[in-house]
Amino acid sequence: MMTSLQLSIASFLMLFITFTGLAQASETNVEEEAKAIEGTAHIIEIRDFVFSPISVEVKAGDTITWTNFDIVPHTATAIDHSWDSGSLKLGESFTYTVTDDMQLDYFCLFHPMMKANLALEK
Amino acid sequence: MKKTIVTCIVALALSSASFITQAKTPAELNDLEIAHVAYTADVIDIQYAHLALALTSSEQIKKFAKTMIRDHEAVNEQALALLSKLGATAQDNFLSQKLVSDSKEIINELSQLRGKAFDKRYAENELAYHKAVNGLVAGSFIPNIENKEVKALFEAGLRIFKSHENHAAMMVKNLK
Ligand SMILES: [Cu+2]
Repeated sequence: MMTSLQLSIASFLMLFITFTGLAQASETNVEEEAKAIEGTAHIIEIRDFVFSPISVEVKAGDTITWTNFDIVPHTATAIDHSWDSGSLKLGESFTYTVTDDMQLDYFCLFHPMMKANLALEK
Repeated sequence: MKKTIVTCIVALALSSASFITQAKTPAELNDLEIAHVAYTADVIDIQYAHLALALTSSEQIKKFAKTMIRDHEAVNEQALALLSKLGATAQDNFLSQKLVSDSKEIINELSQLRGKAFDKRYAENELAYHKAVNGLVAGSFIPNIENKEVKALFEAGLRIFKSHENHAAMMVKNLK
């Protein structure tokens, strides 16, 4: 037999679970809506002097976020310098929104052997 | 008289003991000595880079030199942070001293060169220097480092300096 204290704890827990469930459901909805409006968010890691993945398929409206995991600073810079992350230290990120006419080949200004590219889906 | 002889023997024993513990080859260095060598090697390359910035008019060399300063400073910052976290201080040793005395000769030689001659010699030295240090780090240091965190930092450092070595090789090729 449950005491009234146990009962109230049980009902509190059930309420709590219901609320968290609701909150999660609405968060997912927001995320999905944002995705539909803003396009896909691509993540590129800079690690051990390599952009990874080295080639990413993108479309206009998508965002690309580069994050540096190396001790030394790097950049993500268009080969014609039309877009540039600036110096990214360890743990720093740069986000850029893809456009139809953007330069797709890029490199690191500090370590010019580091090259990578984007492929634009039309 | 007897006392003097005993003192002499004790002194001799002590000095030979300290002689034995003193590392003579890179593989014999302890972690704190290895850290000192690496720190010194970074500082030397930063000095070469400052000399290059003062003497070259090549954009390619200037960019490379700035990268050397930026990267070696970043690595040394991490090394100092790790040492202070471990509550340790790097220890001077024969190899650090050798690196410093060799670098003085090279700085002396480089500072007398100008123009293309300087650029070529600087690039060649960067290639040879990174190759030599990378050989030490891969062959003698990493296999012997006992502390896990120190080892991880050297492994990250080696990947960075390998890229510098490749970068320097590209520069040497471009200057031919
Ligand atoms: Cu880089």
